Amino acid sequence: MRRALVLVAALWAGTAAAEAPVAAIVEGHVLPGFTRLAEASATLDATADDHCAPEDPALRAAWGAAFDAWIAVSHLRFGPTETGDRAFALAFWPDSRGATPKALAGLIAARDPVVETAEGFATVSIAARGFHALEFLIYDPAFTGDDAAAYRCALVQAMAGDIARIAADILTDWRADYAERMRDAGGNDTYRTPDEAAQELFKAVSTGLQFTSDTRLGRPLGTFDKPRPTRAEAWRSGRSLRHVVMSLDGTRDLALMLAEGHPEAAAALDAAYGRAFAIARDLDDPVFAGVETPEGRFQVEILQQAVDAIRRVVAQDLGPTLGVAAGFNALDGD
Amino acid sequence: MTVKFAAASALALIVGLGGAAKAENAPENTAILDTYADIAEAGYGDSLALARQVQAAVEALIATPSAEALTAARSAWLAARVPYQQTEVYRFGNPVVDDWEGKVNAWPLDEGLIDYVDSSYGGPSDENGFATLNVIATPEFSLSGQAVDATEITPALLSDTLHEADGIEANVATGYHAIEFLLWGQDLNGHGHGHGAGARPWTDYAQDEACTNGNCDRRAAYLKAATDLLVSDLDWMAAQWAEGGAARTALMDNPDAGLSAILTGMGSLSYGEQAGERMRLGLMLNDPEEEHDCFSDNTHNSHYYDGLGIRNVYVGQYVRADGSIVAGPSLSDLVAATDPALDAEMKGKLADTLIALGRIKTAAEAGFAYDRMLERGNAGGEALIMGGVDALIDQTRTIERVVATLGLDQIEFEGSDSLDNPGAVFQ
Repeated sequence: MRRALVLVAALWAGTAAAEAPVAAIVEGHVLPGFTRLAEASATLDATADDHCAPEDPALRAAWGAAFDAWIAVSHLRFGPTETGDRAFALAFWPDSRGATPKALAGLIAARDPVVETAEGFATVSIAARGFHALEFLIYDPAFTGDDAAAYRCALVQAMAGDIARIAADILTDWRADYAERMRDAGGNDTYRTPDEAAQELFKAVSTGLQFTSDTRLGRPLGTFDKPRPTRAEAWRSGRSLRHVVMSLDGTRDLALMLAEGHPEAAAALDAAYGRAFAIARDLDDPVFAGVETPEGRFQVEILQQAVDAIRRVVAQDLGPTLGVAAGFNALDGD
Repeated sequence: MTVKFAAASALALIVGLGGAAKAENAPENTAILDTYADIAEAGYGDSLALARQVQAAVEALIATPSAEALTAARSAWLAARVPYQQTEVYRFGNPVVDDWEGKVNAWPLDEGLIDYVDSSYGGPSDENGFATLNVIATPEFSLSGQAVDATEITPALLSDTLHEADGIEANVATGYHAIEFLLWGQDLNGHGHGHGAGARPWTDYAQDEACTNGNCDRRAAYLKAATDLLVSDLDWMAAQWAEGGAARTALMDNPDAGLSAILTGMGSLSYGEQAGERMRLGLMLNDPEEEHDCFSDNTHNSHYYDGLGIRNVYVGQYVRADGSIVAGPSLSDLVAATDPALDAEMKGKLADTLIALGRIKTAAEAGFAYDRMLERGNAGGEALIMGGVDALIDQTRTIERVVATLGLDQIEFEGSDSLDNPGAVFQ
């Protein structure tokens, strides 16, 4: 997609940058979030031991709770989540080339014994691992029939175990090492100055919001002539809107902590998020199926515009307050 | 290959020295931008010259089809990629390039749009109803309710009707990769050992009873049209960078923003595009079709010359296809005058990346094909590719430090489609 320059905003306030409360954010936002992810993922793993049938309510509930915990921290894409293929293997999406159903069908057709060990399963394509692949197995009729039920059970258990291990590894690395690197910004080479740590957290907010606008909302919207409802995130399980709200919750929490001590920026953020949440609350379309009708499409566009309004507040009010800018992110490129 | 999602927007940075005092020995911003534009002009000029050689080789192949003529055309294509890949660093910072780039280097593609494919390729996908259109075998078809007359395959048919047909980016009808597919054919070797490129027979272009796979006349017409289009598109872009050209002028109009264009291009190509989309994702998906130049198995070179291009614009040096050197005052000189240690760090990281990408290239040229590196459980291949990824991510951190050191004073907000009409956006 070619891009257009839209608006240029002069930002530099000329004032001394404020020091972001990095240590408080690590303690109050990052570690609790990854602790919840590790706990919910461990519960999913334990549940899958006894409940591996696709329609099993206990399995679906445990999967949903762990997925919730992931979405709540999915904006924190730096450090331990980026080691190896961790975050990619937890949540490979969007899948614009249909790699997930293809990879799952390949494993099932071959009854691939790679599911038998954790080490083996860790080498499998990220398309066949994580929350999205598991959604196919427990919600997509193409994968929920009687055929190959025993193998699918083993596959479900392998996926749940893989998710739990990754979540535990992320938390371990945060606790053992990365939390201290952020707190100690200025005293290590990962973060040479406190500003670099603040910029990392700021980028997590802005990139998380960009992903929600461009991808979680932009993909199903498609174009007016060609809306793409089946490109919504996790539509099979009816979670698309839920993910938008939960991810906004996550970035809001972080953004407000970054704005601590700056009531004007905090108020602007609070107002912008409040508008987005109000629109989301009134949107009676959990999987954005309405994008195919003009009225339904309008509702989703309004929500996207509200998210973009938050992005502007973040870029224009929060960034200058902290004295940091967006930098580069994984969504650059095309 | 099938559809790829494109992130609609990115935040780009503008740096400027504005009111800040400049070190005495620092070059003027305009001198740095002159070098940057001169390298672009030379790079697109070389790309054009080598594309003309592809054009000549294609014309020879069509006039007198033979195994030798096909091999010559393939060699010309491989050579043409060397300067072109080095220009990719101009994409993300320069709208003139970014708006145009999809015509010449779009990837990945649903090649079944163009020509015959193996049955394992599958039918129309959920994402793309035209994934198996095969226009070479289909002179008439309907597209979004409109009847299309493709009895004559012309550059206009490719660029105006087929390219991104149905609004789907994987419908790539033009550019290097469409030509690559027509010269090599599908890569059906999977992760197969040894030779990993496509194996299209020269007889696909035979104009008599030797013709294989049907419609050899239309296939030749398609190849000719796509090659002619590539030449005219590169000719246009080279002109944009000449004295008075739109790309050069846009850069010079605002020298501070121009510096940011250099850094935005370097950072966006390093991180989101090359390290992420092109290298790491393919590795983690274990998918040979995620190779950037999968038909020709030239991915190792594609990555390497992208990396070299990033270095070129920082140090202000480019080695032309004829061996001459374009060089001048550079961003490196400016950073060195401000913070010599940071300049040394940046140059060191750029060199590390070239060494890491060079390892991939070396192994591939010695027979360890890139598609084998992507194989599930291939630890050696994974280490090679991740070495490149890690180096690219690492250099991006330093690019951000350069941005910070040069003094950030504005931010440019590149918007998604929904932001194209700012009036419609709630304030």
